[in-house]
Amino acid sequence: MSGSKRVLTLARLRVARFLVLCMLVLGSGLLWACSPQAGEAIHLTIKVPRTGHDVVFDDTTTQIDQVINRMARSFEESYEGKPVVVDVQVFEQNQYDEAVEQALGTEDSPDILYGDFFNTSTYIHTGKVVPLDDVVQGNLREDLFPHLLSMSTMNGHLYMMPYLSRQNVLAYNKELFIQAGLEEYIEEGAITSWTLEEWTVILDTLAQNLPEAAYPMMMYAGSSQGDTHIMTLLRSAGSRFFDEDDHFHLNTPEGIAALRWIQEGVGRGWFPPHSENLEIEDCSSLFREGQLAIYMVNNASLGRYDDRVGLVNFPGSGSGCATIFISGFEVFDNGDPEKVQVAKDFLTHVYQSEELMDLSAGALPASRSVAERYGDDILAYDLFSKNRENVVDFTGSNPDTRAVREIFHGHIHDLLTGAVTPEEAAAALDEECNAAIEEGRAASQLHE
Amino acid sequence: MGTTGFQMGRDYSEGGENARETLGQGAQGVELMIRCSEVEGSCWSSTEEQGLSITLNRKKNIVIFAVSIAVIIGAICVYLNMLSSTVAENLMGTADEISRHDVESIEGSLDSLYLQLESVAERMDIYDVCTMEEAQKQMNLESASSEFFNALYLLDEQGALYSSSYVRLEADQHTYDELFSDGREHFVMLYDDANGRLETTKESLIYGIRTPFLEFGGHRFVALLARSDLSAISDQLQIESFDGQGISNVVNPEGYYIVSNSSATELTHRDNFYRVLEAGTLEGGITVEDVRRNIADGESFVINCITREGQHLVMSFAPIEGTAWSFILTVPATVFEERFRPFMTMTIGMLVVVAIVLIVMMALIYRFLRRSVLAKAEAAARAEFLSNMSHEIRTPLNGIIGLNHLMERHVDDVDAMKGYMRKLDKAAQYLLSLVNDILDMSKLQAGKVELDAKPFDLMAALENVCEMQREPMVERDIRFSIDAVELPFPFVIGDEVRVSQIFMNILSNAVKFTPEGGLISIRAQQTLAAETDEVTTEVAITDTGCGMSLEFQRQIFEMFTQERTSTMESQKGTGLGMPISYLLAKQMGGDLSVQSALGKGSCFTIVLTLPRDASRSGDTDGSPASRADLKHLEQGINEEEAHEEEMAASTEAADKSSCEGERFKILAAEDNELNADIISSILAEEGYEVTVAVNGREAVDIFAGSKIGEYPIILMDAQMPVMDGYEAAALIRKLNRTDADTVKVFACTASTLVEDRNRALTSGMDDFLPKPLNIRLMLQKIHEVQRGDKE
Repeated sequence: MSGSKRVLTLARLRVARFLVLCMLVLGSGLLWACSPQAGEAIHLTIKVPRTGHDVVFDDTTTQIDQVINRMARSFEESYEGKPVVVDVQVFEQNQYDEAVEQALGTEDSPDILYGDFFNTSTYIHTGKVVPLDDVVQGNLREDLFPHLLSMSTMNGHLYMMPYLSRQNVLAYNKELFIQAGLEEYIEEGAITSWTLEEWTVILDTLAQNLPEAAYPMMMYAGSSQGDTHIMTLLRSAGSRFFDEDDHFHLNTPEGIAALRWIQEGVGRGWFPPHSENLEIEDCSSLFREGQLAIYMVNNASLGRYDDRVGLVNFPGSGSGCATIFISGFEVFDNGDPEKVQVAKDFLTHVYQSEELMDLSAGALPASRSVAERYGDDILAYDLFSKNRENVVDFTGSNPDTRAVREIFHGHIHDLLTGAVTPEEAAAALDEECNAAIEEGRAASQLHE
Repeated sequence: MGTTGFQMGRDYSEGGENARETLGQGAQGVELMIRCSEVEGSCWSSTEEQGLSITLNRKKNIVIFAVSIAVIIGAICVYLNMLSSTVAENLMGTADEISRHDVESIEGSLDSLYLQLESVAERMDIYDVCTMEEAQKQMNLESASSEFFNALYLLDEQGALYSSSYVRLEADQHTYDELFSDGREHFVMLYDDANGRLETTKESLIYGIRTPFLEFGGHRFVALLARSDLSAISDQLQIESFDGQGISNVVNPEGYYIVSNSSATELTHRDNFYRVLEAGTLEGGITVEDVRRNIADGESFVINCITREGQHLVMSFAPIEGTAWSFILTVPATVFEERFRPFMTMTIGMLVVVAIVLIVMMALIYRFLRRSVLAKAEAAARAEFLSNMSHEIRTPLNGIIGLNHLMERHVDDVDAMKGYMRKLDKAAQYLLSLVNDILDMSKLQAGKVELDAKPFDLMAALENVCEMQREPMVERDIRFSIDAVELPFPFVIGDEVRVSQIFMNILSNAVKFTPEGGLISIRAQQTLAAETDEVTTEVAITDTGCGMSLEFQRQIFEMFTQERTSTMESQKGTGLGMPISYLLAKQMGGDLSVQSALGKGSCFTIVLTLPRDASRSGDTDGSPASRADLKHLEQGINEEEAHEEEMAASTEAADKSSCEGERFKILAAEDNELNADIISSILAEEGYEVTVAVNGREAVDIFAGSKIGEYPIILMDAQMPVMDGYEAAALIRKLNRTDADTVKVFACTASTLVEDRNRALTSGMDDFLPKPLNIRLMLQKIHEVQRGDKE
């Protein structure tokens, strides 16, 4: 081969190598650009308030976030789309503002919120919570109790997936009743009810006869926590609490009578001293330590007291009143449709998993099939099922329950200290709470 | 092999016209050529040594430049690395300082809370309470009015705990009293059920102070405790740093958060600090157990951690006095990078500017040095060129002057005059060819040579050139070989004069550099391109001369280049012949190449593609007659050489036989035959006996072989083949004989520059006789020596 030909051949080889290299680089770039970003995981954030939880077949589960974490890990392992990382964040019951409301629109915003409907319903009206009708389809809709679905529905759309519920009634300490000479009111194996007159007698008797450092009944206004029970007490004189438009309707003879009944109870020693400064946790501790005769329980917490307590509905017309707390999941739209879909996929995964749904057996399961499987094991399940007819709604269609509650406990605080009369309290409650309701309705935006 | 047009002749049909033209433009042409060369710069690389020197210097400079750049870049990298470390250390120091400051703030906050608790205790002592329920009512009101405390507890000496919410825990229901067992005055701890269940499920802190003075309701109280929500107090303990990107956390030895700052990382949303570490990776060989132990021991330390999410964190730990807690300042590494980036950017920018300035300065210095070197090389080349030109012009002039002297002396001797006239013509022709070469080169460089394309007989042109070189080949006993001359298409269209000029330059060079008894051969072949009707002729002229080094082969076609080695037989000439031939071949669309091996010979190959003369294509007969003509020429040359040898032998014998009597002997070293002949004739007529040596080596040998004092005078040419006059003079002075120092050596050279004179005297010569020789002066000096010798 001549020199010139060799040079030409070498030059051609170099050009060919350069072209091949360029094509490889270009090809790699195109492949990279076109290929799914397999390494990029989708991050879901589930926020859950610190809440006790029992599972009838699992003694190790004591908190609801344990259940949520099991759901998260199960979803991470089984999801067939992109890799998913689910982060479960626990916050205190009194930190909804910081954990949810202030986080909306930030990187810390929840994709899924687990909580009680009366707390979480507020967020539905922000327009950030997406309808879950497409998740509740077919057999699943049939499997969930309709009254729970109904209470989680607004404008015809389901905004919260109910997972479980807890029915709240009052419990009395049998030993203290006996010590106070009230054996006749003790009824085994039933959720009893007393008339208002009987309540008055019982509380007066307890105030007279209980030993030192023991008190007749719970009362608190230190914070909004647990105030739904106080709201329920306001039905004691026959008040319906809400009018037809779901506005507060306490400035009525029945409502004022109930307020007066409570205010007079302060002076008659029915409640711990300065109960306006107490919180529900204080009363819970007093009841647990045997220093409180009457306190609130639900089917989940009943087991803590064995047979030391008896059950009675809140005072009210007929057989009295009970309240119900629905707990479940809301999905937030943070501007990423893919994350919204993955969040819905998470719910689909949970609700199609028998194992994960069974973890609701401890409270009142939202699933009929779970209830059928574990109804016999859930303490007093039948009692609470039968008492469902006495359940009253303490939220109405209030779009901003939390705002109303902040107003409510302040007025009860003033009522307990005597700073306002029952009439003044009733008027103020109606005026301010209804204003908050109207404000909430005006600001309400539902995600379509 | 050197190049020159000495024997080229230019006795062609246009020679006279060219001569007139070139003679008229001579000075201008030389000037033009020098200017062109100055502009082109590198054209002045007149010798191999200079070219090689410049090439080596360039490589050396490139290496120095590259090493300097590498050193600068390396220094910058090292500097940046050290700078990075220093800045990182400073930032870590800053983080450590912030940690200490934050810890002091937290300790201050805790002290403030202890003081508030002490105030509550003091007020409880003041209140008029008689029963425990009254005391609990007061505590209820105190906690309700407190900004920080959600509940207060009195611990009596029996261990019973009384809360502001009326709960009473007996001694067996809690162990809070044990928290004072180590004698401490106060404590703070993260609430859990381990010490007894209080009326909260929230994350809370429990504070405690000793109250030995409190006593009422029949109880003596040893301590006052307080409970506060962690969220309430954490606001007071939270401290932002690094523009909110630094995360301040406080953990207890079990890893549970006392203060958990919401932040850019996911750190704070996990229950336990150790679980965060376990989920990630710790750098530097530190384990989670090490961290746990250090926190428990109250150590200050720093770790680097990569979280499960891949975030790189720097954590600075500091113990909080009076607690078992550890303050953790967590800063994402990106914060350091962000802080560091502007500084690094500025530094890098500055260093880059400095580096660029340095590089530019180095480049300028390099360029200046290079220009300086080139200028020196150009100056040297110009000096050498002028020296060569001076030599080449003065040599024939010397002959002319000498012949003129002889002709004056023999004006009546018709035979002698004829001989002198022939020699005079030869010298004049050489001068003409020299001027023509210079002007040709100048015109070729300027692109002003116009080829006169006419039909001609290529074979005839080649024959003519060979014929013209017959005499020198015969004189030098060079054998001539026609190996294979196949010119089936001799009739072509081209510039016959220029083609012949190329052949003549190459063949005359071959003759000049081929030693006596050597061989010159010619091969020629042709191919016809039917499409274009063009004939490509390839003529290869091979000699067995001294050959060329590889380095010289690369520059042979550059101007003024001439191989200078001691083994060459000639180094005369301007060095223009080969460049002229090369440029002519290129202008004709052809090529001229050379293959050579030092000491073995050279082969020049001329390739010319010329249109075929269609009008005479019918005359082409495969050229058997032409080959026969060349063969005839070959035979003639070789036979003539044999005859010359016989004649030389007989002449030598006659010379020897006629050598009688003692005359004043002069040794003349002169390679130019004409000059040697003239000097010999002049001196012989003056009565001197002259011995001619054709190079310096021969002169040394003749002198060394002579009797002491046989040659009192040596006329030494400077530029000669084999050994130049300077070296020969020096060797003669070194000879171990008595007359080595006394013999008068006169430099007789056409190199007349001052440096040539100095070099002659330095090499041991006694005097300097510039060419053209001043005959009268020369004879005067010889007479002086002769007189001195007689005395």
